[in-house]
Amino acid sequence: MDMKIRTMAWRNLWRRKRRTYITAFSIGFGVLLSVTFTGVADDSYTKMINTSAVMGLGHVTIEPKGYNETPSLDKRLTGADRLREKLLQMPGVQDALIRIMGQAMLASANKSIGGAFMAVDPSMESAGQNLFIRSIIEGQLFSGTDSAGAVVGTTTAKKLNLSIGKKLVYTTTDVNGEIVSEIARVTGIFKTGVSEVDGAMILLPIDRVRSVLSYGPYDATLVSIVIKDQRRALKMLDEIDSMLDDPSREVLNWRETQSELASIITLDKAGNRIIQVLIGLLIAAGILNTLLMSVMERTREFGIMMAVGMAPFTLFRLVIIESVWFGILGLLIGVIITIPWYAFMHYHGIDFSGMIGSDYSASGVLIDPLVKIRLFKESAAWILTSVFTLTILSGIYPAWRAGRVPPVESLKEL
Amino acid sequence: MKDQAIVRLEEASKYYRQGNMEVRAVDGLSFEIHKGDFAALCGPSGSGKTTVLNLVGGLDIPTGGKVFLEGQDIGLLSRSKISVIRRDRIGFVFQAYNLIPVMTAYENAGFVLTLQGIPERECRERVMSILKETGLEGLENRRPDEMSGGQQQRVAIARAIVTQPAIVLADEPTANVDSANADSLLGLMERLNHESGVTFLFSTHDQRVMDRAHRIIRLHDGKMESDEVRN
Repeated sequence: MDMKIRTMAWRNLWRRKRRTYITAFSIGFGVLLSVTFTGVADDSYTKMINTSAVMGLGHVTIEPKGYNETPSLDKRLTGADRLREKLLQMPGVQDALIRIMGQAMLASANKSIGGAFMAVDPSMESAGQNLFIRSIIEGQLFSGTDSAGAVVGTTTAKKLNLSIGKKLVYTTTDVNGEIVSEIARVTGIFKTGVSEVDGAMILLPIDRVRSVLSYGPYDATLVSIVIKDQRRALKMLDEIDSMLDDPSREVLNWRETQSELASIITLDKAGNRIIQVLIGLLIAAGILNTLLMSVMERTREFGIMMAVGMAPFTLFRLVIIESVWFGILGLLIGVIITIPWYAFMHYHGIDFSGMIGSDYSASGVLIDPLVKIRLFKESAAWILTSVFTLTILSGIYPAWRAGRVPPVESLKEL
Repeated sequence: MKDQAIVRLEEASKYYRQGNMEVRAVDGLSFEIHKGDFAALCGPSGSGKTTVLNLVGGLDIPTGGKVFLEGQDIGLLSRSKISVIRRDRIGFVFQAYNLIPVMTAYENAGFVLTLQGIPERECRERVMSILKETGLEGLENRRPDEMSGGQQQRVAIARAIVTQPAIVLADEPTANVDSANADSLLGLMERLNHESGVTFLFSTHDQRVMDRAHRIIRLHDGKMESDEVRN
């Protein structure tokens, strides 16, 4: 019986081939749109989160308690090296970087500006995990942890009239709150594309900064942890927190350390969801219309079926199965038309740099002007499941209508 | 054999409203149809023939009086119960064939057996046998739009009798076929009645049907005009 009903439903689909194709293509097109919106979002969020992570704080950060709310250099972590070793043992952790970050006054012979510094150990850092090193366009990163080198942003260099080899004085407060200064020589200049960063941030050697700040040899303000898959940051946070078990330190994820980025993503996701719902409604309206029309056209036929003994529920099932077939067909077409589009957008993408200009940032977050699609497995499963569910839900009302057909009335229909 | 009443109408009435007017499609009708009957409801258009068939077939509920099928008061049964009775105990043949267009002759003929959940093998045996009996051998895989009107009506008859129902209700079964096909269809139904004991109740105003019917119930304005039994 079930097989017969399935066969009948499948054949019913092909009574009006053109209408079936149009409906199935509309489902397929919905899949394509959904994949595009979700894929662009998945890709851009990942890039934004990863880029933001390599700008200093990582996906997960270990800091002294209270540092995130009121950052000051008198708050510090001790034994950061041992902490790093432990973290590197954890599966899922790609890297753990010891850093000192703080505010400083930057001055050259001509001028002074407010800025920030990030003291790093060059032997730990790499272009992959540090955006500033990756973005060096002139010179290079200082060598050694106790050298007098500094890497500055293009805008800072311009403002202070700095070039490679020139002197820079940075002034900050040490662990005791005393004002301290040190001279550095510019070894490199970076350009990230984020104007706020290029005009404020400098990189300094960590041991030199430790001595300026009167820090111990393994002290730091934070350990920045890069997670292999940013989606696991929250889970990793819990694992790291339980591994740490130290109330004087706190473990934060990127949402907490970069609340502005988190807000942008949350807002964008909400907008994206609204668009997805609208796409869903359009698909649902199309299917509902097709199935309803097909049910109305067959009123007499349904009357006959009921007259010869088909139960109303079986009729309901017949129309629901038709919507299931629509869903399968639509998803199949969706997959077929989406694969080439996905391949193009995933490997090549569309470059919007001409439209964006030179500053590729929004609220201090670097945005890649090359728009690509990257769909996570769970997003793909969500799209396919929701489109399929929507198709079946759209079939419920027509199916209910079919089951309510009074045989004697429908037999009078022409 | 003809003692057992399959259908019994007791003062059955069906009224409905058309604008402000009350139309009495069937008005206090009483008669019985017995096993093995080959009976025809005759009368002009609007005399209530189809309404009587609808009442007997449980497609409609009487406004007054009672309709019994094999002793069960149809008016007291639920929709699903009536649906089961229609499936198992009644065969329908409609004027416009009313086959399911996406199904082949074989599938149409076996449709009700499928609804009954008869196993595929038994279903096949019964359908093939009935198709042979109705002269449709070799046409099993044709869809309705690939068959003539006469062939389609034969499939409809096959569908109606394949479940061995208590009664076959045929609403103007010869109205849409030419006279050669009408004769052939009537011959088929007559043979099924004679050889297999299938009970038929027709609604018709076709003289050829009336000529072959063993009993003629004449209706006029929803009332019985005459009930003539022929030998």
